[in-house]
Amino acid sequence: MTARAKALVSIAIAASLSFSGCQAVKQGAADIIASTGKVSREDAQSLVRTAEVVRSTFAEITEEEEYYIGRATAALILSKYMPYRNEALNSYVNVMGTILAYNSDRPETYGGYHFLVLDTDEVNAMAAPGGFIFVTKGLVRRCGDEETLAAILAHEIGHVAERHGLQSIKKSRLLDAFKVIGSEASRQFNSEELAKVTGIFEGVLGDVVETLVERGYDRKFEYEADKLALSFAVRTGYSPGGLAEFLVGMEEHKPSGTAAGWFKTHPSPADRLVRVKTETAVLGAAPAKLDVRTARFAEAAKNLR
Amino acid sequence: MKKPARLTFLIAAVLAVFVFLLAETVVVKIKTTSLRRDPKFTAPIVAAIKAGDSLEKLEARDGWVKVKTKAGVVGWLHSTAVESKKLGLLAMDKTMKTQASAGEVALAAKGFNKQVEDKYRAGNAAADFAAVDAMEKVRPTPAEVEAFMKEGKLGEFGGSR
Ligand SMILES: [Zn+2]
Repeated sequence: MTARAKALVSIAIAASLSFSGCQAVKQGAADIIASTGKVSREDAQSLVRTAEVVRSTFAEITEEEEYYIGRATAALILSKYMPYRNEALNSYVNVMGTILAYNSDRPETYGGYHFLVLDTDEVNAMAAPGGFIFVTKGLVRRCGDEETLAAILAHEIGHVAERHGLQSIKKSRLLDAFKVIGSEASRQFNSEELAKVTGIFEGVLGDVVETLVERGYDRKFEYEADKLALSFAVRTGYSPGGLAEFLVGMEEHKPSGTAAGWFKTHPSPADRLVRVKTETAVLGAAPAKLDVRTARFAEAAKNLR
Repeated sequence: MKKPARLTFLIAAVLAVFVFLLAETVVVKIKTTSLRRDPKFTAPIVAAIKAGDSLEKLEARDGWVKVKTKAGVVGWLHSTAVESKKLGLLAMDKTMKTQASAGEVALAAKGFNKQVEDKYRAGNAAADFAAVDAMEKVRPTPAEVEAFMKEGKLGEFGGSR
């Protein structure tokens, strides 16, 4: 074996072994790497250390952590907006949303999907990590039928399924969190660690809420959510036309003053429409709109004032 | 220990390890969910399961896994509800990311958890967790889901495309 191959193998062994958590093994691994003469002792030690930091990206946030980030994000959204007290409408949205989630790429999340209509005329929809999905009264009023509302809910489920919210967390913050949390077996935080982790948690919420409410996601995530919305809706049995219909309405009723809600956080309806039309075309045969659904939507949304 | 006994023990141990590796175990990674008779969400529920439960994987099909509980109940679960335990043991050649996600259950109750939420709530009275709790309580029943699908001709109740 060449020295280089030997070094590579040693690093691989060190990486695997460092999961064992045994100090002697780790030291041994560092020694092996250093003995190849290709890397200094310090570098060898740091290689082993790097292998130990198992978590480094948003993808490694556990489902349970995502749930707690989502709960607090939802709590902050609900400090800005009031729930709309309309049990019939909320129940309708929850049943429809649940069925759409069943037909998504990620039907199961730690705490499940939950939907709520917010009492505001602003046209908006938001999804907190893990599946806390909000649509405003103003948005429901803009929908002409069940297909349209289904498209919006499916778009938000798409953001949850792809963990777009978690991707707005600053990388440095995640690394800080993972450092404090460590990688040993389950345990409670002591008060010093708890203060530190809670401080980072607050920063995480700041990143997520700012993205959801103020800044909006990266455009590519919005286009991805639109694409997923079409796919989830069609899989559920809805006509794919709902999303295009909504976007046409958005374009026609663009606010003249400062943009708020979906107008502010989402790409222009016209841009989205172009893509949605192309993607709808490739879907092929899809379910058609149905009067019985349009009628029950009208019934559920009848008292929107 | 006499020699034959020792040999029998050794064979048994090797067999046990072999069977263990063959019988893939999956662990539930979501708070609570249901085990269903068939691989679809409208199928009858056969058992309730919760985070951390270990299940024996029997079969996989279209994003669903057929499992057996410790109590011997067999049913189907969507694959997004579980993670494979075998990965962590045998995936030496896999990427570290795989290792990390396979360790998800081991990490449960750590990181951003109830303890952190409680501490956060104590310092942030404006965050409306009571409203979130109310939101979480709303869970459509299987009967409501089925009635909605039937009436709206959705999913398996849909007509021709
Ligand atoms: Zn969006």
